[in-house]
Amino acid sequence: MKKYSDMFRSALGLILSLFMLVPFIMIILNSFKTKKESAELGLEFPKQWNFRENYSVVMSSGILHAFRNSCFVTCLSVLLIILVSAIAAFILQRRGTKLSKKLITFFVIGLIVPGQIIPTYMLCSFLHLKTFFGAAAVLTAANIPLGIFLYIGALKSISRDIDEAAILDGCDSLSLFFFVIFPLLKPMTVTLFILTFMNIWNDFGTTIYFLNTSENYTLPLTIYNFFSTHSSDWNLVFTDVVLVSLPIVILYFSAQKQIMSGMTSGAVKG
Amino acid sequence: MKQKNLSRHKIKSPYPYSLVIPAFLAYTILYVIPAASGFLLSFFNIKTFKISTFIFAGIENYATVLRNPYFSVAIKNTLLFAVFTTLGKLALGMSLALLVNNRFRGVNYMRTVFFLPAVLNNVAVGLVFRSMMHPIGLINRTLTGIGLETFTQNWLTNPKIAIFSCAFVEIWKWTGYTMVILLAGLQAIDSTYYEAAELDGANRQQKFYFITLPLIMPSFNNAVVISIVGGLKVFDIVQSLTNGGPGNATSVFGTLIYSSFSSGNYGRGCAASMILTIFVLLIALPTNRFLSGKEVEL
Repeated sequence: MKKYSDMFRSALGLILSLFMLVPFIMIILNSFKTKKESAELGLEFPKQWNFRENYSVVMSSGILHAFRNSCFVTCLSVLLIILVSAIAAFILQRRGTKLSKKLITFFVIGLIVPGQIIPTYMLCSFLHLKTFFGAAAVLTAANIPLGIFLYIGALKSISRDIDEAAILDGCDSLSLFFFVIFPLLKPMTVTLFILTFMNIWNDFGTTIYFLNTSENYTLPLTIYNFFSTHSSDWNLVFTDVVLVSLPIVILYFSAQKQIMSGMTSGAVKG
Repeated sequence: MKQKNLSRHKIKSPYPYSLVIPAFLAYTILYVIPAASGFLLSFFNIKTFKISTFIFAGIENYATVLRNPYFSVAIKNTLLFAVFTTLGKLALGMSLALLVNNRFRGVNYMRTVFFLPAVLNNVAVGLVFRSMMHPIGLINRTLTGIGLETFTQNWLTNPKIAIFSCAFVEIWKWTGYTMVILLAGLQAIDSTYYEAAELDGANRQQKFYFITLPLIMPSFNNAVVISIVGGLKVFDIVQSLTNGGPGNATSVFGTLIYSSFSSGNYGRGCAASMILTIFVLLIALPTNRFLSGKEVEL
C-alpha cells in the first residue's frame, strides 16, 4: 500500500517537474538554433546546429565585461550585507530593551516599504556615490532589513549561556561575535547569502539607474539590450539568457543541499 | 571574585550599540532618508536633478496621477495581480510542500527543480514566456496539437486576459519559493503531535485541520505577506512581458512610475510611488496582523 502511494508521488512529481522545466529546455534548445529556426519559437530539436556562431556573437558583445561588473557589485554587497546585518542583529537581539526592540521594528519595516529609487539616485549623485559603488551601497542598504530579520530569528535559538561562558573566559564583544556566535549562525548565513546573491545578481530596477552605459552594464542589463536591438534574433536572445543565467544556476546546483537545508531548517518560516 | 568580574562586565555591556552603527547608517541614509524625501519631492515639479530648478507644486502631482485615465486601470491591475498571484502561489506552493514533505524516490530532485525558476532573473523569464505566449508560440501550438484549438488565445495581446498571463508567469516563477517557506513550517512540526493524534484515532483530514494548519501559520503568514508585497510592487515581469500594453491593458503601479520617470516627470513619479507605498502598507500590515492572530502559542 505504502509502496504504491510512493510510486504515485514519484510519478506525479516527475510530471510536475517536467512542466516546470519546459521554459528551461526552450531557452537551451533555441540557443543552439539558427535565426530562422528559432523564429518558429518551438521546442523541436535543432535541424541545423548553430551553437558556435550564436555563442561567439554573444560572447563578443561585451558580456564578459558585464560578468566582471556583476561579480564586483554582487560580491561587494553580499559581503557587506552579511557582515553588518549579522553584527547589528546580534546586538539588537541580545539587548532585548525597549530601544533595541524599536530599532528592530525600524529595520524590519524596510521589508514592506518599497524603496524610492529616484530620491535615492538624487542623493547618491549628491554624495558622489556613482556607478559600481553607488549601486553596491544602495543594494546593500535595501537588503539589510532582510538580513536583520533572518538573523534575529536564528539568534533566538542560540542560548545566552554561550555568551556568558565566553565572556567569563575573557572574550570581548567582537571576539564573542566572530569566534563564538557567527560560526553558530552558519546555516542562516548560507540562506542569506543565496537569497541576497539572487536578489542582487538578478537586479534590474536599481542597477539600470546607476549603471546606465553599456560599459557599466551588469549581466541582466545585457538581455534587454539584445532584445531591443535584435528583436527578431531569438537565437541570440536565448543565448544571452543562457550565459546570464549560467553562473547563478551553477551556484544554485553546487550549493543546492545547503540551500535547501538552510532554508527549511526553520530559517524563513519566521 | 568571579561574581564581581561578571557584574563589572554587565555594567560595561558586552553588547555595545556602536556595532549597530554600520547597518543603521547604511539603511538610514540610503533607504529611509530617500523614502522620506520622496514624500517631500512628490510636492515639487522636478524636471532636472538640480535642486535650484525644483518648483513647489502643492498637490498638483497627486492630482495629475489620480486624474490619469491609466491610473484606475493600474490600480485594478495591481490589485488583481497581487490577489491572483498570492492565491496561486499559496495554493500550488502548499500542495507541492505537502507532496515533497514525504520521503520517496526523487523527492530531493523535485525540491531542487521546483525552486529553480526563482534563481532566474525576471527579464529573462519575461522574455522566454513572451516567446512561449506568442500567437504562434509553444503554448498555442501545443493546444492545437492536442486538439484543444478552441482554447488558443492571444495570451499577451488580448487586453482581457493579458494581466492574467502575466500573473501566470509570476506564479510559475515563485511557486517553488513559496513551497520552500511552507516546507520549513511543515518540517518544524514535532511528529509527536501526529502520533498522539493517531492514538486518539484522528484521521488524515482531522490531522491536517487541527495540527498541520494551525502550526504552520507563522510560515503561512510570511508566505502571504511576501507574496502580497511582491505582487503590489511588480514591475520587471510585466515590463518585460508586455511593457504595460496592449495600450494600457496591463499597466500596473510599477510601469506607471517607470513611465513618469522615463518621460522626465520625476515629481509625478515620486507621487505615484508614494501612493503605491500607502497601498502596500494599508494592505500588508492588516493582513500580517490578521494572520498573526491566527498563530497558536505552544
